[in-house]
Amino acid sequence: MPVQKKIGLTALVPPELIFACRCSPFDVNNVIPGSKKYPRNKLCAWTAIWQEMLSKRELKLDSLIVVAGGDCHNALVDGQKVEMSGIPTHFFFYPFDGDPLYLESQLYNLVDFLGTIESPEKSGQIKELKKIGKKIDAKRAQGKLSSGNVFRIMISFSDLMGDLDVFREAINSLKEQKVEMNNRVALIGVPPIYHDFHDVAQSLDLQVVFDELPFEFLRHSGNDIHTIARDYCNYTFARPLDFRIRFLQKELEKRHIDGIVHYTQFACHHMLEDEIMRSKLDYPMLTIQGDLPGKTPEQIKLRLEAFREALDRA
Amino acid sequence: MIGLDVGSTTAKKVSIEDGEIKYQITGTHNWKDLITGIDGNDIISTGYFRNSVPHCASVTEITAAIYGVRYYFPDVDVIVDIGGQDTKVIDVKKNNFIINDKCSAGTGAFLEFVANYFKIELKELGSFHSRAKRIPAINNTCAVFALSEMISQLVAGFTPEEVIAGMHYAFARRISFMIPGARTLVLIGGTVKNKGMLSALEDILQTEIQVPDEPQIVNALGALKYYY
Repeated sequence: MPVQKKIGLTALVPPELIFACRCSPFDVNNVIPGSKKYPRNKLCAWTAIWQEMLSKRELKLDSLIVVAGGDCHNALVDGQKVEMSGIPTHFFFYPFDGDPLYLESQLYNLVDFLGTIESPEKSGQIKELKKIGKKIDAKRAQGKLSSGNVFRIMISFSDLMGDLDVFREAINSLKEQKVEMNNRVALIGVPPIYHDFHDVAQSLDLQVVFDELPFEFLRHSGNDIHTIARDYCNYTFARPLDFRIRFLQKELEKRHIDGIVHYTQFACHHMLEDEIMRSKLDYPMLTIQGDLPGKTPEQIKLRLEAFREALDRA
Repeated sequence: MIGLDVGSTTAKKVSIEDGEIKYQITGTHNWKDLITGIDGNDIISTGYFRNSVPHCASVTEITAAIYGVRYYFPDVDVIVDIGGQDTKVIDVKKNNFIINDKCSAGTGAFLEFVANYFKIELKELGSFHSRAKRIPAINNTCAVFALSEMISQLVAGFTPEEVIAGMHYAFARRISFMIPGARTLVLIGGTVKNKGMLSALEDILQTEIQVPDEPQIVNALGALKYYY
């Protein structure tokens, strides 16, 4: 059996196809919250850190897939720096208008980059895991699982830990526990760059019951290029804001949300969306901004605590 | 029972005796002087150091500000708290708040920086402003670059009084971006004793701004009112 190629991902790229091509996906963002790196030249720390780690070969990958169109322009530039350092890099574009035919052509290009589809059965296995993921997400909203433990599983749906068996085991190791649901919070935007954020929120009596981006990681699936294109074309982060907001409204209502925490990353275009989110989503909203990774800073904790007090008063 | 606000630069104690507000203010590092002989079970704390001082209950300065200001202005819509290290804007009606702490240009620390440059006391900034005949434009949103711009205005012939007035306008413009429309806007925090900054903000917002008699003690009072 040949050694599997390790493929870096910068955001959501259908892992179904990467596994089907007998490659092992690795979401480069997973190393950022625990990183102590201070990148030399940065706007957003998320992209700057993976760029520097890859360019200096501190992360060992065979190639990189950069989600550029429809998501993050910083990634487009930092991805090119990685490419110039000599790592084979492919640029993947989502359609802004959700055109499945366009996405289908992008998926064919992706498979060309990876090789050929050799294990089509992997897509079905991933679909089953994502069904379990949705159940876990629902259990968290019912107060049966801790927010932080569920988040750590959900965020891993982008690369399924590079190995379906290892990932299945990680899911099975989740233990049910009763969580008192006093303040049901939706976390929207990109995930916080702090590795302990969900646990800190819980310690301040804020229970995260919706993680916007990680939920996208497990929401989409498909058995082949045709069906994958028709599902992933609704990846909300790549679509116009009104599409994403309509989706959010439905999910927040379903989860009986008390308030929203909007995390924005320094120098990220999502910061510009804050006023729109505030005007369209009719819930108390706290906006926080992070820059470099690490523990949740005290200033952010103050905001979370004050937000909890605000929800108590509501 | 007392409300104790230990912030980044000052500590304040408030109690209510026979319906009358009694208070004491000292430097942050002397906070212990305020609670000599007072049991922790009789203290409601707030401010940056709220969890580091003896207390039976604590509340964030954001919530404390709401309760404290309501004591003076029951119909308050928006509170602006210009502190030493950050500026907080609390939309009381919408139960929402914004804090600016990424940059010192909209905080009391910036005013202190400017006063140090002119070798004057912080409390003198207001009287310097009142003597200005012209107001130069200072556009920089960075505190350090704003100082460079102020020096350029001095070189160009503006007086220190005028440059200080221009700086107050730059300061007020910066925090005005954080402030939503309001019928009753209340300013708190030690910085609001600076009349120059206050008038610049009123001019930019075109709104009358209310200030409690003792704006520095509002949070300590609010901590007390939150629980009682």
